[in-house]
Amino acid sequence: MEPGSDADIIERSLGEPAAFASLYDRHAAVLYRFLVRRIGPSAADGLLGDTFRIAFERRASFDRGHESARPWLYGIATRVLAHHRRAEARRMRAAAVLVASREAPIDPAQRAAASHDARELWPLVADAISALPVGERDALLLHVWEDLAYDEIARALGVPIGTVRSRINRARRRLRELTAQSGQQAATRSAAGRGKIES
Amino acid sequence: MSDDLDRLRRLRPDRLQPHDPMDPKVLMDEKERLMSAIEQSAASVHAATRMPSIYPRLAYRDVLRALDFLTRAFGLRERREARLEHPDGVLAWLEIGDGVVMIGQSGAAHHELYSPAELGRTTGMVMVSVHDIDAHHGRAVAAGARVVMPLEDMFWGDRRYEALDLDGHRWHFSERLADIERRRGKSAE
Repeated sequence: MEPGSDADIIERSLGEPAAFASLYDRHAAVLYRFLVRRIGPSAADGLLGDTFRIAFERRASFDRGHESARPWLYGIATRVLAHHRRAEARRMRAAAVLVASREAPIDPAQRAAASHDARELWPLVADAISALPVGERDALLLHVWEDLAYDEIARALGVPIGTVRSRINRARRRLRELTAQSGQQAATRSAAGRGKIES
Repeated sequence: MSDDLDRLRRLRPDRLQPHDPMDPKVLMDEKERLMSAIEQSAASVHAATRMPSIYPRLAYRDVLRALDFLTRAFGLRERREARLEHPDGVLAWLEIGDGVVMIGQSGAAHHELYSPAELGRTTGMVMVSVHDIDAHHGRAVAAGARVVMPLEDMFWGDRRYEALDLDGHRWHFSERLADIERRRGKSAE
């Protein structure tokens, strides 16, 4: 039987809870990648389960006027992540160190640019992202890493679309300022970082 | 203008540092956990809405008014999620302890069930065990229930009273004397 839209699945799961499995099959992989990006693979396993259990419990409140449940699921996952801000900050820092130490890509044409991004930019950006206010970081990362449109972010975070726009604009301004500020210290810091890893 | 966004896109952790292909076992394990949580919650919902194997249906001239009276005067609780509101009448389920009564519209079109107020007599009595019979009695009297047998200790070991509701259905409320004594003993300590 063709399951139809997410809204159909959720509607059916109200009377027939096991139908919720199709919603998991459709979106679990995407949500898992999102959680891994934000918090790392080991913590992401459990948070994936938490996200879908909460979604199941709250499924009656899903606005079935929308076909796709993905923004709603992103919203729940984002709130689940909110309890793990410190782990997320550690993740960002660890990723920065790992990335800086990593071999350049195999394709030599991309090597220069990629290794510049990785070694010089990522540690700066990771710090800057960690320093953003929570609401701005959530909106920005849903936009650039998850490719959600502004209206989808608005649904996910439960805020008006104008708020999404202003949060992302503020976040971009802040990122530019933060990366510029710490740009001066970048040379010394990344040199020190590499020294540690190579030793 | 969107240079900074593109740069940020390129810096997505798994673009710079692709993870090993996702382990399908993670997704399968989490799905298994989710489904067992769903099964459990479905089982508990089922338990909360399960009806006893036997329970009566009583007929009232005005079901919503009866509902209000029975909850206020006799301390029954409505199973709100069970209520059915048809254009030609409301059906409601009320519980107290582990017992349930169903109430519906009276009349020829409704299973030919009539209210005692329409018949001038009643043919049954609902027997209810309650906690703290004295408080229950006080509440019923205050809400306007007509007490037709006074509150008394009976030789078979109950303290009981009988009352009529708005439509004249007869209700028998009781508590075991042994339970009352045990409660008093406890509060005296």
